[in-house]
Amino acid sequence: MTDTVLEARNLKVAFPCAGGVIRAVEGIDLVTKKGECVALVGESGCGKSVTALSIMKLLRTPPSVSRIDRLQLGGRDLTHLTDREMERVRGKDMAIIFQDAMTALNPVMTVGRQIDEVYRRHAKLARKEARKRTVSALELVGVPEARSRANSYPHELSGGMRQRVLIALAFACMPKLVIADEPTTSLDVTIQAQVLDVLKSMQQEHDVSALLITHDLSVVANMADTVYVMYSGKIVERAAVKELFMDPLHPYTHGLLASVPRLSDDKQGFVQIPDSVPHPMRKPTGCYFHPRCSRSSDRCRQRMPRLEALENGRQVRCWHPLRQERETPS
Amino acid sequence: MSGNRQHPEPLLEMADVSVHFPVKRTYPFSKRRWIQAVTDVSLHISEGETFGIVGESGCGKSTLANAMIGMIRPTAGTVRFQGDDLFALKPRAFKAARRNMQMIFQDPFSSLNPRFTVYDIIREPSYVRGGASEAVMKSKVLELLRLVGLDEEDLYRYPSDFSGGQRQRIGIARAIILNPKFLVCDEPVSGLDVSVHAQILNLLMEIQQSRNLTYVFISHNLAVVKNICQHMLVMYLGKVMEAGESDAVFAHPLHPYTKALLSAILDIDIEGSRDRIILEGDIPSPIDPPKGCRFWQRCPFAMIGCETIPAGLVEVERGHQVACHLVSGFSSEQRAAGLDQPVSPQPGG
Repeated sequence: MTDTVLEARNLKVAFPCAGGVIRAVEGIDLVTKKGECVALVGESGCGKSVTALSIMKLLRTPPSVSRIDRLQLGGRDLTHLTDREMERVRGKDMAIIFQDAMTALNPVMTVGRQIDEVYRRHAKLARKEARKRTVSALELVGVPEARSRANSYPHELSGGMRQRVLIALAFACMPKLVIADEPTTSLDVTIQAQVLDVLKSMQQEHDVSALLITHDLSVVANMADTVYVMYSGKIVERAAVKELFMDPLHPYTHGLLASVPRLSDDKQGFVQIPDSVPHPMRKPTGCYFHPRCSRSSDRCRQRMPRLEALENGRQVRCWHPLRQERETPS
Repeated sequence: MSGNRQHPEPLLEMADVSVHFPVKRTYPFSKRRWIQAVTDVSLHISEGETFGIVGESGCGKSTLANAMIGMIRPTAGTVRFQGDDLFALKPRAFKAARRNMQMIFQDPFSSLNPRFTVYDIIREPSYVRGGASEAVMKSKVLELLRLVGLDEEDLYRYPSDFSGGQRQRIGIARAIILNPKFLVCDEPVSGLDVSVHAQILNLLMEIQQSRNLTYVFISHNLAVVKNICQHMLVMYLGKVMEAGESDAVFAHPLHPYTKALLSAILDIDIEGSRDRIILEGDIPSPIDPPKGCRFWQRCPFAMIGCETIPAGLVEVERGHQVACHLVSGFSSEQRAAGLDQPVSPQPGG
């Protein structure tokens, strides 16, 4: 059990606002292991980015209200750490890669200075020593001519290069956990392939645990080991990546997978999930997915199902999971 | 150039269209430089088909679409819509032609005026065109609302009340109110949630069938293009790399760029471990693009001649054209000069 890196229990985040309360995250549990890439998948507004930010303790208390029963990182309890203490953890033990590198990087500082800062602050290195490490960190993520590129400003780099800088920044102190929040959404497909490659090799070579937050199932299929599927603030399914893609149990997961067009199929038209994600202030009663679900019954309309634990770590939150029929041989 | 011989009368035809934009001079007497957004593109779009344009950002696909519907005047080449040269028409005739060509935009958040109600947004084209009474417009708008799957009560609400998918439906209703023949869909789903993609695509397909529309479908999602397009164009840095019937292009892609693009799309079939081609480097700038083949710097199979000699589109089989020296080969003199020797790919700009 010692290889558990991140353990978050019963995380809840809400945003009180004028018309009511937005419950962004409603009691989720997350566990990542050493060297494992865990993906948190969901559509926009399902609470996945808020989850990432609150694990980093980056959410301010007004406007958000959050509580968590337990937050552990590599055996250390972070639940009650103060902001000052968290500053020493962020960047050193856990780091985050944001989606939009242009806003995540400081536009008036060279990228080298920004990476130097991590070494100077957390590893307490001198200026020259820090720059040496920065250059080698940039080389690791495949930035050509790293020494001179370190003196460029973010706007002088291309999107793919900026994303690499962010990766170098996150991996600078070889943290225990790297959270990647939609790391490639703003990139083109050929560049996305490059960046994901870099991210994956960094994560695997250095045995770092990664929490990948994305809405793109194809990225998940290529990167993740374990997948959590989130819908409207709740985890609806958890499974190893292979099992999830071969044999989804929750109707939402099934619908998501079916609606992705594939190169390999020739059918005309697209499988669709009706309707759209409920407004976070007007979530339906019972199971949040029931208005869009083809399998919904009266029970779904009245009561929220529990997250049921199944064999080998699978979990599903559904009254009528898809497995039941499949067990009768066809 | 070759074309589609079964349909002698294409709805839209572009011949050697180039669109170049001037770059602001850095110094008063410095040489004028141009962004070569689109260079020498020819295409035929027949009535009732869906024509796909594929490429990464900055490859000129949106500029090409804007030139198609007359929003940008090409630097060279002609655009013919129903046989008329779009840019030689008198203003009145141009307006009439333009009515038949509409566009659906990528971002449903910025393409709808936030201060207009749904009714104002959808009826605006018909209002601008004039000649319809309020009652006629209203019944038309209501009919369209139902067609795109919105309620009558939504008529006087504002765009901010709707989700991305619903806003895109409003955009679609606005685009078809004038009964156009030709609709350009510029990345219609890439701003939307995954679970809504299929709804919008299916809606577009239904409308195409019921109204006999011709679509130009711009996308970077090859799987979608494969499913809905009959013909397609792969663009890179303003030039056509590969074109033809989409079945042929997907069945055996010939251009290295098409191959790389196909392999770079991560598929969700986790079992098939394919050999992925990961391209080196970034897309070069469209200001002063490479002289020869535009792709040579990133091409894993580049030959020495690729750097200097532009590759023309060659028809390799019926309805399948490729612009690549690997496919067309060099002439014997060029081979004698050693131009067909491979170079190791250099990391581009």
